[in-house]
Amino acid sequence: MENNNKKGSVFYSYSLNPQAKFNTQEEGEKVYLLLRSHPFTQIGWFLSSILFFIILFIFNFFLPNFLNFGQIFIINLFYFIIICSYIWFNILNWYFNVGIVTSKRVIDIDFYAILYKEITNAQLGKIEDTTVKSGGYLESFFDFGSIFIQTAGTEENIEFLDVPHPSDAVQIINKLLSKKHGF
Amino acid sequence: MDFKDIAFKVIISLFAIFYYLYALVVSKQVKIMDKTLQDEHNDLIVFVTSLQVTASLVILIIVLFAVFII
Repeated sequence: MENNNKKGSVFYSYSLNPQAKFNTQEEGEKVYLLLRSHPFTQIGWFLSSILFFIILFIFNFFLPNFLNFGQIFIINLFYFIIICSYIWFNILNWYFNVGIVTSKRVIDIDFYAILYKEITNAQLGKIEDTTVKSGGYLESFFDFGSIFIQTAGTEENIEFLDVPHPSDAVQIINKLLSKKHGF
Repeated sequence: MDFKDIAFKVIISLFAIFYYLYALVVSKQVKIMDKTLQDEHNDLIVFVTSLQVTASLVILIIVLFAVFII
């Protein structure tokens, strides 16, 4: 699959021909595309983290009036590890929520709040329709949007939300479908 | 030792214990996620998660030391 000019970009959220593997991968199944949410969609928790650090800084001006040095140290330590854990939790959520396009199927791996895992896959032969939804100022500016893959029969539909270059990704899926159906 | 000091020590002890358990759960889940998807930065992810578990254990020891010894 060398039809695409974006080899891999936007902080590993759009990787073409990646080295990635997954546990249900079959013999001879090649991964063509790996998608994560666009980094811009993570700006919310990133800004929150900065805000929490600022709050910690401000609190330290008032805490000496109520607590001794040891207590202030412990509170600062705990507050700091809570913020770090919050950042790490969000990074893990972003990193492991992926969409994968292989030579045989399309897979959506979701980890909700780290604890719950959901893996949905659709064989290329069962895919009926692909839709790209990208609207709004920021989506247009940063080129990200959502891909909806409709499957035949009882198989679950697949969604890749807020992924970079959605049109290019759909183009790759459509080329694979054409190859599969022999068009 | 007044009530405020005792309450503070109980709260930080509980917090340190729960944080250690949380770090263990996250570590376990990261191992599952690492098996589910192997990408080029997985080693770094597993390493940082191990650091989190180690840090939480160190914090738990420090807190228990501070509560019972000092």
